[in-house]
Amino acid sequence: MASIDIRTHRNKIENISALPTVPGTLKRISSIIEKPRLTLEELSHFVSNDPALASRVLKMINSAVYGFPGRISSVSHAIMLLGLNVVKGILLGTSIFEIMQKVMKGLWDHSLGCAIASRVIAEKLGLKYPEEVSVAGLLHDLGKVILILEYQENYDDSIRDATEKGIAISEAEKIHFQETHAAVGMWLSQKWRFPANLIDVMAFHHSPAAAKVAPLETAIVHFSDILVRARGIGFAGDPFVPAVNPVSFEMLRLSDGDIRDVLAEMEDSLEQPTDF
Amino acid sequence: MPKIPIDKLEPGMKLSKPLVSRGGMVLLGDGTELTEKWIDRIQDMEVDGIYVDGPSEQKESKEESLAKLDARFLSVEKEPYMGRLKRIVRDYIEALYGEH
Ligand SMILES: [Fe+2]
Ligand SMILES: [Fe+2]
Repeated sequence: MASIDIRTHRNKIENISALPTVPGTLKRISSIIEKPRLTLEELSHFVSNDPALASRVLKMINSAVYGFPGRISSVSHAIMLLGLNVVKGILLGTSIFEIMQKVMKGLWDHSLGCAIASRVIAEKLGLKYPEEVSVAGLLHDLGKVILILEYQENYDDSIRDATEKGIAISEAEKIHFQETHAAVGMWLSQKWRFPANLIDVMAFHHSPAAAKVAPLETAIVHFSDILVRARGIGFAGDPFVPAVNPVSFEMLRLSDGDIRDVLAEMEDSLEQPTDF
Repeated sequence: MPKIPIDKLEPGMKLSKPLVSRGGMVLLGDGTELTEKWIDRIQDMEVDGIYVDGPSEQKESKEESLAKLDARFLSVEKEPYMGRLKRIVRDYIEALYGEH
């Protein structure tokens, strides 16, 4: 059975534009969002110059996932309203949608469900920027996309192992890659200059006690990931619900009714068209 | 709350979500009870369906759905909070099948 140490591939993964398996759209998006001092104008210009991309981004922003149905009509308006980082994240989201449709369809529903749950919980807790938490939910398993694309055989082995041995996909990843998708997601989100909060969520959504910068946001996405699986939405690599970290769960102070609300909103939003 | 195709709308149904035009204007608020007149207007518009109150139609039987839930939770049920979470999800699923 194939096993590699993914940590020795970090440079290769960070140099994502050189990976032959990565589609052109993602390469172009990667090269713009990694810019050190990306301005509002630059990003808006980049998206607006590609009408297909612009319409996908606006479609996602106006979808039930973000809770602004039908209200945002231009990319610059979106950036003003949601901030540069959220639009960067949504831009990435639309391009990973394309990939997930091809390589692991259930991962898109998993990611969307997680984005919705994360936003609703962030709103309930009165966080100032629920859309940022939603983007963290949308992108939290981004590392899986790269692993599947570039190391398909090892990833297939991981999925099979998880199901057969009854272990979580991240445990199976440790067997086949020595590290998990959470680390891969962290490397990329650092490279793409995402805010520290998002990097924390990427790195620690399966080990939320280790989150230092954004323990609350990490706890939200950690629990959202579990709730989506509990409801049986999508497929994230294994068919099991992982146990919640009790400290993180207590941090959220959610009542039974709150959790029911999140389930209902997740379901309603996913019933609407989610093909971006 | 199911989404109903516009040719299946009947007077007396209540909107569970506002009806929003392409331009983002709210045309009918949630909770609006549909009349013949509203249904005619809605059928003139380019919408593919309307959300109304009531249990959604489910893709699988309740028994199947609950059996899958048991399988997903099998190894974590005894962990802290997981029994509670399972109960909430089970109640939620049962309500989808119209048992309140
Ligand atoms: Fe994950
Ligand atoms: Fe996940």
